Amino acid sequence: MTQIWSVALITFKEGIKSRVLFGIFIIALLLFAATTVVITLFMRDIVKVAVDLSLSTVSFAGLLALLFIGVNLFGKDLDKRTIYMVISRPVSRAQYLVGKFFGIILLIFVVTTFLGALSTIPVIMGKRFYYYTEVRFDWWIFLIAVLYIFIKLAIVSSIITLFASFTSNSFIALVLSLVTYIIGQSTESVRLLLVSTVEKIEVSPALSYMVDIAYYIFPNMAAFDLKTQAAHGLAIGPVYMIWTILYAIFYMTIAVAVGTLAFRRREFP
Amino acid sequence: MRFLIIAASLIFFACIGNAFVITRISSERDMLRQREGIGIVIPAAVAKIAALEFKGIFADIIFARTMTYYGGKVIRKEKLTEDEWNWIYRNADLATDMDPYFLDPYYMGAMNLAWEAGKVKEANILLEKASRYRDWDWTLFFYLGFNYFYFLQDNEKAAYYLMEGAKRPGSIALLPTLAARLAYQGKKTENSIIFLQAILTKTEDKSLRWIYERRLNALKAILFLERAVAIYQDRFKKQPTNIDELIAKGILSEIPQDPYGGKFYLDKDGSIKTTSELR
Repeated sequence: MTQIWSVALITFKEGIKSRVLFGIFIIALLLFAATTVVITLFMRDIVKVAVDLSLSTVSFAGLLALLFIGVNLFGKDLDKRTIYMVISRPVSRAQYLVGKFFGIILLIFVVTTFLGALSTIPVIMGKRFYYYTEVRFDWWIFLIAVLYIFIKLAIVSSIITLFASFTSNSFIALVLSLVTYIIGQSTESVRLLLVSTVEKIEVSPALSYMVDIAYYIFPNMAAFDLKTQAAHGLAIGPVYMIWTILYAIFYMTIAVAVGTLAFRRREFP
Repeated sequence: MRFLIIAASLIFFACIGNAFVITRISSERDMLRQREGIGIVIPAAVAKIAALEFKGIFADIIFARTMTYYGGKVIRKEKLTEDEWNWIYRNADLATDMDPYFLDPYYMGAMNLAWEAGKVKEANILLEKASRYRDWDWTLFFYLGFNYFYFLQDNEKAAYYLMEGAKRPGSIALLPTLAARLAYQGKKTENSIIFLQAILTKTEDKSLRWIYERRLNALKAILFLERAVAIYQDRFKKQPTNIDELIAKGILSEIPQDPYGGKFYLDKDGSIKTTSELR
């Protein structure tokens, strides 16, 4: 455990020092500033637009941080050959990979907490600027939505860990993770589209079978997207939270475990 | 040193050139955009998949774009064509498919589509969708009730929606009374006035207030004339042949102005009409 923790801490420190993070924060700040201007274009649902924009900014910036820093944190050790230093120490390969994973989670936690705190500013401004009495909003649901952004990013971290464990190049890991994220975001919508008879599209059984397989293989990211609920103050039941958090834990466990298996057998250049 | 001077002057002139050119570009773009007109509307099924986790923002952008287009037309004092209104309706529909709780497109549907485009059917489709999702919001039921009562003359449905609205938290105390009044046929003008006054208490937007106030003033004038006709009937036991008779017999001192620029007249069935048809 101490080995995992020390790898995690080193990974975290390395990530937080990254200059890319600074750039991502500037992008996020600009987006938050833009939000306060953009919300004035709307008529009544100003708080909703503010919540939409600020939560999307948190999610987007977190994703950027993961894809640019997270992937690199794996790649660097291999590219710069510093991996030999680590492997020669009493740290097993599995411990190394799990430690890296937790380090990235720690980094993402700090990033989401920081951005989540910043994201309240446009919402508070929106509420003060114009609050229509029929608008529903609840800070608790907003908080839960931020927590779910963190969970979603944690799943993406596990996918990055998986791909980084066997790809030879960090760019390939990045592309694969990005594609997985995109598929994971859309499987639920595609599945709903195929099921709905309203759209009047003829679907071949093979296609719907493939979509079903994709639904079970790729993470269902849509389950962690609670921006609409946060924007309109729609209640989220405890049962939903229990199942989704369990799903996230199971999925991350599978991804990291498969990653360690692949990493153990890996040959270093 | 020479290099520095050359580089600095290059930057200087390029900046001036840039500033000049960008103003030209913005005017050229304006012309190009005007010719572009409205665009296609993405099918909701495709948009839902393509928007990934950013469906909310997508809805915001579509709606903002629609409003900007509409606003530009209003500023240039151009009338929207039938196609453009359809485009606006389909965009509002798409935005609310992406985020079915988004109030603004529904609100715009209730107001602009019904009042300006005369698309009451489309406005009601949007509002009915709204009432399925935003089931805590009494105002949507209220607007629906109004559309059914005022534009479609369906008092039964109007009363139903008003009662539904009255069950929601925070609704104005007037709703049950209004619904009860609608059960009686007739008194349309009076009921419309009460309705509009209630809507006005919830409206802050200046241009919308203007639309409502103009209609309210016209209806008040009609009510005023209707009462004068009733007095005439009471006194002379017959219908006046035209509106000027009300002045001739000393019931009115003058005919009120139609805020829509038309002239009030007495229809064959004894009701007050105006040549502007309130448009």
